Amino acid sequence: MTGMKLGQYVYGDSLIHRLDPRTKIICCILAVISVMASVNLYYLLCLLLLMVTAIVSARLNPKFIFKAIYQIKTLLLITLLFQAFLTPGKAVLTIGTITMTREGLALGSINILRLIILFMGSLILLMTTTPMKLSIGIECILRPLEKINIPVHNFATILSISFRFLPTLFEEASIIRNAQKSRGSQFDSPELMVKIKSYAAIVIPLFEASLSRAGDLGEAMDSRCYTSHPNQLRMNSLKMKGQDVLALVSVSVIVLAVIPVSILMK
Amino acid sequence: MSEGIEVINVTKQYNVFAMEKIEALKDINLSISKGEYVGLLGMNGSGKSTLARLFNGLLKPTKGRVYINGIDTADPVNLPEVRRLVGMVFQNPDNQLVCPIVEEEIAFGPENMELPLEEIRRRVDWALQVCGLEGKRHHAPHLLSGGQKQMAALSSVLAMLPEYLVLDEPTSMLDPQSRRALLDQIYKLNKQEGITIILISHNPEDLLQADRLIVLDQGSICLEGVPRKVHANAKIKELGLDAPSLYQLIDHLESNKFPVPESIKSIPELVEHICLEL
Repeated sequence: MTGMKLGQYVYGDSLIHRLDPRTKIICCILAVISVMASVNLYYLLCLLLLMVTAIVSARLNPKFIFKAIYQIKTLLLITLLFQAFLTPGKAVLTIGTITMTREGLALGSINILRLIILFMGSLILLMTTTPMKLSIGIECILRPLEKINIPVHNFATILSISFRFLPTLFEEASIIRNAQKSRGSQFDSPELMVKIKSYAAIVIPLFEASLSRAGDLGEAMDSRCYTSHPNQLRMNSLKMKGQDVLALVSVSVIVLAVIPVSILMK
Repeated sequence: MSEGIEVINVTKQYNVFAMEKIEALKDINLSISKGEYVGLLGMNGSGKSTLARLFNGLLKPTKGRVYINGIDTADPVNLPEVRRLVGMVFQNPDNQLVCPIVEEEIAFGPENMELPLEEIRRRVDWALQVCGLEGKRHHAPHLLSGGQKQMAALSSVLAMLPEYLVLDEPTSMLDPQSRRALLDQIYKLNKQEGITIILISHNPEDLLQADRLIVLDQGSICLEGVPRKVHANAKIKELGLDAPSLYQLIDHLESNKFPVPESIKSIPELVEHICLEL
């Protein structure tokens, strides 16, 4: 369980790594908006090129990105098939009462492209930003909500702890699974009820262990002066630099380009 | 303000059910001077961990008082200062590392102490260097080995510059090599940095380097003194705590009329002494 995991931070010193997490989060949100707003193939290809450029400049391993995209192949296939069979148009293939259309295939391919762009964007964000910086970034973006008494800082701490403990919980689940397997649990049983019962034997000890872990963690945090009103100052406090402004302006221009592209399409 | 830790007539009870109470500590009196290296030994359930949590203000005594440099730990106003003075390292490193990156983990305490940024950075660099973790600065804690995780936990406490360091069975989940490295590190912190050490263990082998050994049994202090003398007491065997192999060897040598000075605290030191004498 110690290998590289999907979306795990990869240490680096590239321009993308050095960008303020707020910049990266806002750029990702802008990318989501633009991808959702456009179905123009050329525009989407431009966005894909932008993502590839970001991956290259962040010096992320392209093999790992391909592997990650391959992991969501089922989702991509389902998207394609649904669009292909449910969109009316010129028939390409008929199976019984359902028909695959040319327009459906085109729309399905565009949707696959959209999903890949969104997935790559989130991978770049997660792989180039430490979980702590990510949670500080989210906290800064959500800070205005503090004015309506929403405890944003506590929310960010919970988020950061979740990032920290996810791999540990996976590891623990794997240990419990092996322990239950060695005692005869049938995770591979063809019977659904047996399978559900086997998984219950993982969930319950995992839940119990998580509660005990939370107690220990609370003590460790208490013993290091953590309070419910912690210091806002952090070693890795955020500071917007020229490169962040440049990145935000560039991405905004690309996103705004969706408007003329949509008008031209009409 | 008197320096050191004073535990005065401390009793600690836990409410197990509404009516049932368990007395984890019974009328404990103890004082620890600054710069001392104290070992707390006892079997499971003897009250060692409860006593450790009283030093840091994580628990309040049911009766009696605990003073750190004259500061009462029972007063909530004093807790930030008590926790700055007394750092705690727990048994399971996985459960005490809060942040997803080692460097951020070490900065967690100083950040909570509201120190200036420059000071936080200076302390993080120092703590990483002291524990030999410079190369692991940007690593995720879950990717470290057990020994490195415990070192990260130790350095995250050291960054708060505590005067007292309480370690609650820090070696129990480590392999022999990591255990040795951690114990050497603790000894160095005591001798070179002058940090008072309170090391808790149920393994007498871990406490060889202590200046003073306190043995707890069923919530009371039953033996106290120089480790070698404590282990020479027949009562310790009744508690099921075997003497460390070093003391067994020294006993064997002394019964054969080969005197060994009390200052010897490790096998290499004993070997050196034998070589000089022969």
